[in-house]
Amino acid sequence: MICAERIQTFVLQRITFILLGIAGIPVWNVLQKADAADTEAASAVTPLNTLAPLLDDLYILLLISLFAILLGIVCAFYLQEWLPQTNWTRRFIESVVAVFDGIPSICYGILATGIFFSYAGTLKTLGGVHVPQRTEDGSALVPLVFEHDTVVFYIVVLTFILMVMPVTIKTTQAALGSVATPIREAAYALGASHWQVLRRQVIPLVFTRILAGGCRAMSGALATVALIIGIYTWQYTTDPGNMPNRFVLFLGSALFLSIFSSILIKLYASASANPTHLTR
Amino acid sequence: MPMNYSIEAENLNLWYGDFQALIDVNVKIPHGQITSLIGPSGCGKSTLLRCFNRVNERYGNVTTEGKIEVLGKNIYDTDISLPELRKAVGMVFQRPNPLPISVYENVLFGLRIHSPMRSITRAEADEIVEEALTSVFLWTDLKDKLKTRATSLQLEQQQKLCIARLLPLKPKIILMDEPCSALDAKGTRAVEELMEVLAGTYTFIIVTHNMAQARRVSKECIFMFLGELIEHRETQALFTDPKHEKTSDYVHMRYG
Repeated sequence: MICAERIQTFVLQRITFILLGIAGIPVWNVLQKADAADTEAASAVTPLNTLAPLLDDLYILLLISLFAILLGIVCAFYLQEWLPQTNWTRRFIESVVAVFDGIPSICYGILATGIFFSYAGTLKTLGGVHVPQRTEDGSALVPLVFEHDTVVFYIVVLTFILMVMPVTIKTTQAALGSVATPIREAAYALGASHWQVLRRQVIPLVFTRILAGGCRAMSGALATVALIIGIYTWQYTTDPGNMPNRFVLFLGSALFLSIFSSILIKLYASASANPTHLTR
Repeated sequence: MPMNYSIEAENLNLWYGDFQALIDVNVKIPHGQITSLIGPSGCGKSTLLRCFNRVNERYGNVTTEGKIEVLGKNIYDTDISLPELRKAVGMVFQRPNPLPISVYENVLFGLRIHSPMRSITRAEADEIVEEALTSVFLWTDLKDKLKTRATSLQLEQQQKLCIARLLPLKPKIILMDEPCSALDAKGTRAVEELMEVLAGTYTFIIVTHNMAQARRVSKECIFMFLGELIEHRETQALFTDPKHEKTSDYVHMRYG
């Protein structure tokens, strides 16, 4: 049974890799075109001055990731604490989570960049994207790269949610599952309600691990943003301006968060709340 | 005379999925004394015990039929409140399971979940903890260690603490699921003495694999076999003059 599930997950993962790869093709096209195209056409879509608004979008994406982490935690609590293990919905969501959790964030990065740069250009005719306008004195002044109510934006948002949520759900579920049954039993037998058991015993025990999982997920999101900035910088700007700084900032925060999450887990392991004779 | 019996079960049947773990169990457990449940492994002793405070329902796929009256009230009625039931019927588990918080908070945990936030004053709390720990003979050992994590105590102390934390809730019945199996001889003796002291105030039901223990501590004894209640009599009578062949085989250790 477990073996069959693993094979299923493995196959689904490969299929998703391939689909993401296909989604990455537009990126390659755009990169090719960008090289070939004359400067004017290229600058029409991707001038240096779009960077600032682009970054605004990225910050919004980070906020959304944070929201997705919270949502993931809530989702994991629901799956682990309220749905029985045999529940069809729970098994379905868990297998989907397993599939998406196994995808390296670089694949997401490629997907996101693909949509970002290809469709941001092509969709301008659909009204989703503002073409950058030059002001009269020659200095370029650019509105948003794309509006926040367009399809493109939602696709990108979805990418981030897809990347962040599975990691959060999986780590939170693992953390909740690690609380020894005797601890729960003891609290239930004293008459505690489900919510009281969670609030007074389970959450204090697993808080660090959930935090670590959230950090890990956020770190993945930041790294992907760094990747987007990196590609943007190297491909589309002759004068990167402050882009390398941003790149370092995002990549640095990603590194910091992943190190921080490992430290949290290490601390948790050394000062384990569950005595060995109680862990199942 | 309803209050002569703490627990009365009638035609109790219980299934885990398709497997029937309890078959037509009828039992009356007298008030204020120690009753022991014996029988080979998997005969339903623990299941029966866990029915009395409905703690086994958490495992899902459990179906129960029949009636259990605890203190004159059917606990399978729809209007029963599980927290209140579990407050009245405390439980001690096989392995000591103190909560991973301080000794002090362990004793107060039950009380805190049953009373509104911040309704217990510091002085009251101190008094309750002292009283509970004194009645399980832990106060002298632990009065300087109230802030230590309960899971770092010795096993015997942990098990006594598990009993102590029931007491502030003023339960009527205390269920014990092999409370001494994780303890050594000295710890077992200590827990047994404690039960004997407390027996007048509380009704104890103890599941045990140790027949010597059942003979030592209990006044009445119930023998179960494959989900059925075979014999329920005074302990001495059950051990010296068993009516059923199965009981006799078991108590004379021909198997099990």
